[in-house]
Amino acid sequence: MVVSVPVWAWAADPVAAGRIKVVSGPVFVVRANVAMPAAAGQALFEADTLRTGANGRVGVTLNDDTRVSLGSDSEARLDQFVYAPADKRGSLVLRIVRGLIAYVSGRIAKLSPDAIKLETPNAIVGVRGTTLVLRVDAR
Amino acid sequence: MTRHTRLIALLMTTACAGALLSACHVRVRGPERQAGTLVALLPDSDDGLVGRAVVSNASGMAELEAARASTRVAGTRAPSAAAPLAEAEVQTLFGDVLSTLPRRAHQFTLYFQFESDQLTAESRALVPQVVQSVKDYPFPDVEVIGHTDTTGNAASNVELGLRRANVVRRLLLAAGLDGSIVDATSHGEADLLVATPDETFEPRNRRVEISVR
Repeated sequence: MVVSVPVWAWAADPVAAGRIKVVSGPVFVVRANVAMPAAAGQALFEADTLRTGANGRVGVTLNDDTRVSLGSDSEARLDQFVYAPADKRGSLVLRIVRGLIAYVSGRIAKLSPDAIKLETPNAIVGVRGTTLVLRVDAR
Repeated sequence: MTRHTRLIALLMTTACAGALLSACHVRVRGPERQAGTLVALLPDSDDGLVGRAVVSNASGMAELEAARASTRVAGTRAPSAAAPLAEAEVQTLFGDVLSTLPRRAHQFTLYFQFESDQLTAESRALVPQVVQSVKDYPFPDVEVIGHTDTTGNAASNVELGLRRANVVRRLLLAAGLDGSIVDATSHGEADLLVATPDETFEPRNRRVEISVR
């Protein structure tokens, strides 16, 4: 007999990757294809997408002290966030779909400098610290 | 429209019609915004240090190493050669998004007395400063990270680091911080302040870092 067990039955409680610290204007967190209005203080998880509308802005601090902000009409997804220094594991992949993004590196950049990637539709940015700004114009 | 400009317009239309789909059409939009990525490296807002970034795709790559070095990638073309982005342009394009970055994390480093779980007097004096610093942050998080030197094996050092972190966490709670925002973690011997070989006694590596963010 095949017993189907829902994924959540064995998945450990997801650990937050960071927290939204700054919100102004229309900002949404897209999780499992559902867009919810974002609020400052809200936890952010791996695989979450941040989306802003006209005049929307959002600032996030990740658990390794990395800071990321999005300007208006922007969208970015936290494709990967691994911060386990005791196991010598750390990586950060941020996929920028469109808009304006500022990035300031945190502890992962010091511990695993080759493991940080900011991806856009046109290129991959490997970052070895510290502050980077990007504008992605989608067609 | 004067008679003169009308004549020019007529001439252009005629010329365009004659050239059939040549490059005659007049652009009425402002600067063209095509699908693409602009990347610029900025100096650290605190210490002015400039990092490094490599921008690449299947067609090529550009290395950004100087303050305000930038590259543009149009479609699938290779990133353009690194060129400085004017300070004014940085502000025009990115001023808003830069001002939306959350406040930088505030770091504290605490030390223990030799072979003890008692903080040194200097480090104990930092505890009220940590509590004060938390007030500067909206929706704050406090991470207390225990570190060891490379004496002993890695697994037991992770435990030792966590014990140290928990000592400090209890002090922070006793000083008034809400336990729900204070996390104790350990990096064991994997995150040395002073690089040493394995099995090296080094007091400066036996520390607890606090990150307020």
